[in-house]
Amino acid sequence: MPEILVFATLNGLVTGLLLFMLASGLTVIFSMMGVLNFAHASFYMLGAYFAYSISLWFGYWTGLIVAPLLVGALGALVERYGLRRVHQQGHVAELVFTFGLAFLIEEAVQFFWGPETRNYQAPELLDFPLFTLFGQEFSAYRGFMLAISMSIFLGLYHTLTRSRVGLVIQAAITHPQMTAQLGHNVPLIFTMVFGVGTALAGLAGVIAGPVLTTFPGMALGLGSIVFVIVVIGGLGSLQGALLASLLIGLLQSYAIAADVGVPDLLAMLGVEFPGDHPLDDLWTLHLAQVAPVLPFLLLVLVLVFRPKGLLGKRE
Amino acid sequence: MSILSLRGLRKNFGASEIICGVDLDFEAGEKHAIIGPNGAGKSTLFHLVSGKCAPSAGEIRFRGRAIGGLPPYRINRLGIARSFQVSNIFPRLSVYENIRCALFWTSGCGYSFWRLVDGQGALHDRTEQVLERIGLAGKAQVPAGAIAYSEQRALELGMAVAGDAELVLLDEPVAGMSRSEAENAVELIRKVTAGKTLVLVEHDMNIVFDLAERISVLVYGKIIASGTAEQIRADSRVREAYLGEACHA
Amino acid sequence: MSKTLKAKAGLWGGYLAVLLLLPQCFDSLLAISILNQMTIAIIFALSYNMLLGQGGMLSFGHAVYFGLGGFLAVHALLLMERGSASFPIVFIPLLGGLTGLLAGVFVGSFSTRKAGTTFAMISLGIGELVAASSLILARFFGGEAGISGDRTFGPPLFGIEFLRDVEIYYLGAGWTFLATLCMYLFTRTPAGRMANAVRDNPERAEFIGYSARWVRFISFCAAGAFAGIAGGLFALNYEFLTDENLNLATSGRVLLMAYIGGLGFFIGPIIGAVLLTLMNFLLSNYTELWLLYLGIVFVLTVLFLPRGCAGFVMMHESAWRRGTLHLLALPYLLTGLPALLFVLAAVCLAELSHATGPTLHYLGLSLARDSALAWAGPALLAAVGWILTARSLPRLREAWERANAAEPERRT
Repeated sequence: MPEILVFATLNGLVTGLLLFMLASGLTVIFSMMGVLNFAHASFYMLGAYFAYSISLWFGYWTGLIVAPLLVGALGALVERYGLRRVHQQGHVAELVFTFGLAFLIEEAVQFFWGPETRNYQAPELLDFPLFTLFGQEFSAYRGFMLAISMSIFLGLYHTLTRSRVGLVIQAAITHPQMTAQLGHNVPLIFTMVFGVGTALAGLAGVIAGPVLTTFPGMALGLGSIVFVIVVIGGLGSLQGALLASLLIGLLQSYAIAADVGVPDLLAMLGVEFPGDHPLDDLWTLHLAQVAPVLPFLLLVLVLVFRPKGLLGKRE
Repeated sequence: MSILSLRGLRKNFGASEIICGVDLDFEAGEKHAIIGPNGAGKSTLFHLVSGKCAPSAGEIRFRGRAIGGLPPYRINRLGIARSFQVSNIFPRLSVYENIRCALFWTSGCGYSFWRLVDGQGALHDRTEQVLERIGLAGKAQVPAGAIAYSEQRALELGMAVAGDAELVLLDEPVAGMSRSEAENAVELIRKVTAGKTLVLVEHDMNIVFDLAERISVLVYGKIIASGTAEQIRADSRVREAYLGEACHA
Repeated sequence: MSKTLKAKAGLWGGYLAVLLLLPQCFDSLLAISILNQMTIAIIFALSYNMLLGQGGMLSFGHAVYFGLGGFLAVHALLLMERGSASFPIVFIPLLGGLTGLLAGVFVGSFSTRKAGTTFAMISLGIGELVAASSLILARFFGGEAGISGDRTFGPPLFGIEFLRDVEIYYLGAGWTFLATLCMYLFTRTPAGRMANAVRDNPERAEFIGYSARWVRFISFCAAGAFAGIAGGLFALNYEFLTDENLNLATSGRVLLMAYIGGLGFFIGPIIGAVLLTLMNFLLSNYTELWLLYLGIVFVLTVLFLPRGCAGFVMMHESAWRRGTLHLLALPYLLTGLPALLFVLAAVCLAELSHATGPTLHYLGLSLARDSALAWAGPALLAAVGWILTARSLPRLREAWERANAAEPERRT
């Protein structure tokens, strides 16, 4: 039991911090521009694919640096020539635009890289078990992922709280109109933030690609989850996004690790249900099966009962 | 018998108190203006009466019935209509549709989805009448977002009075208009609110003295004077307030 | 009868006639199957327009009501197969509609409090929840494999047993006409008019006596019901449903249809449904890149034609009334032809890069993948098309301004 707990916690932490790399950019974009970027996870996917192609020619480490920069540049272009254009038509049009973009990027990825899974590998340098606990190995690459996302979090935190740019962004998150009135070039900040946000998503893709497999559907599953995190964490709150990322990461990790389900519960209560029944599925349900549903249940509950989110400042 | 009475009305947003204890009565059929310096809480007072926000304390009674904190649509159904400082219309609907929508509830249309609106002659006639009175009959089919600013103000006014509410609240009805436009607007207001109770917030003193029979002065969330135009002109506290000295009586 | 009423009656008569005559003109098995899909898509897209176009509610989960209606319809067919129930299958779509309505009442009771992003997120959450649950509850939804029924167990109606696809088409056409008419009439009721008003300005609606939430709720339920009818028709047509029929992919497709066709115009979603179904059939047989093209078309529509195809046509209303439409004909031709050249050449390059065999057959040409000319030719044409299009644009813009600035011609 303790080994399951330790590994579930570590894996949950890796997933959670990875999710935060996506959620941090999305939260800042959402808070500043009021638009939830449906295509955010698509940039994450692009990061993985770019890094894969680069790694074929120049190795993993070049991809680690170059791919996020490429993704960020692409993101900035999308903001400048796409989003800004639909901005005048309101939030609904923006949301529809990013939805279309997500659709388009998925098709474009299939066009350039094909529909099959790409063999994007972790570097050999990190291909060894970092430590062995209770007879189970924790790979060095996962440790590397943990380290990267940790340092991104710290760097982001430092930039946002200590630097001048960070202060302007913080101001723009909570009081977008006021910041514009104070003479800051808000459109430029938008483009910049969008670029950095998508670059972070790209970086997440680069380091997650080898572990979570690089295939055209990788954005779809993660995209909705990141949405959920931003909404649950609350508009205008990076701490909320971090909290929600870890929450979702750990929740899923534990749910998959804990092999319990309704049958165990029923057995504990001493209740027995007939084996063949139309509602059979309900009382043979296992927690691992429900794990993918939990975030969305949480999303709907939060939106209905606490639209501000956990730590949000605005609705 | 007063149609609307406010008792000990208070409203605070966080730590700042905007309305700090207002007691005021409005008589049926009177034309009552509320004046005061910027930030005195005039618009907030309207928001409280019309249901846009709920009072923190105190009582609002309309024809004897407590309405404080009710949602706007319930208050409107009881017979209180309002206009807004900034044009607040349905921009993609035609001018005709804007007025007709404002007439739906009092025509008994409700939320029905089994009755067509186009064949209802009485509704059509009432809409045309209102359009005629506000001088927009010629632009009936133009989208409301595409007409001139002063026309939008007239439309706003038309929507407020269309439903034949007993009490009409007008929030700076001539703001942003030129002098001649404002004069036309005053005539229009006089015409369409005949026989109704009118409460208006306005900065332009000429218009206030022209339209209102009674004037109340709101300063820092309190009514410091209430009376006829002459009484208000002569009131020393009002002079003081308008000279810029804060009055914390 | 007044003149406009006569014109409207004529329009609806024409619509019914087209629906009834189509299988006479196109009677191949493939054509009937396309037509069947079209009728389903029309109802579904129109119901989506009730939400987004008329009510201002952006939904990413509209397939839930479509799918639930469809699943219940298949279960009804299964009941008949087992002999537990018996009624003419003409009423199956009604059952689907009731299911959609009930689901709409339940979800709408908490999701219509606000429009905008909040509503969109709740719809996404509900959509993902239902889609994921459908895989868990394998008994009812059939898991990954889905469930299938057989429509021929219902009692025959007037001797029709609905064995052939064309019979199902007439059933579907009848329901399509009825549903279209009902949805149109809905827009002319107080609830429908107020849906537009609330879309434009929910705050103002509250000050003329209407609860914005209640107005949205009514539209939401109605949209759910009509989506359920479409789902029921789908079940009758395919006799087979999977989890894909209620997940994000289907919800996205209906959004694309309604948007490309034109939101806010009643006829827009019909155009979108017909166009996309037709393109889907025509192109997906020839190219595996069809979804890529669709994605590009969609993003371009959102960027440059926010009111869709119907909006593009309606843009010319003012020029038409001024009698200046002819000013635009030549500039349109001068921009349109090079643009067409560019699109055809670009598509040729894309297809060439994904051709399965050594040669690509394209517009009557045979292009060898390994010949440099086969690549250089289209590339050159694409470049020429692009440059000519870009150059003609100022002229088109100028013509547009002239056509719309001219004084309207006086009518005597």
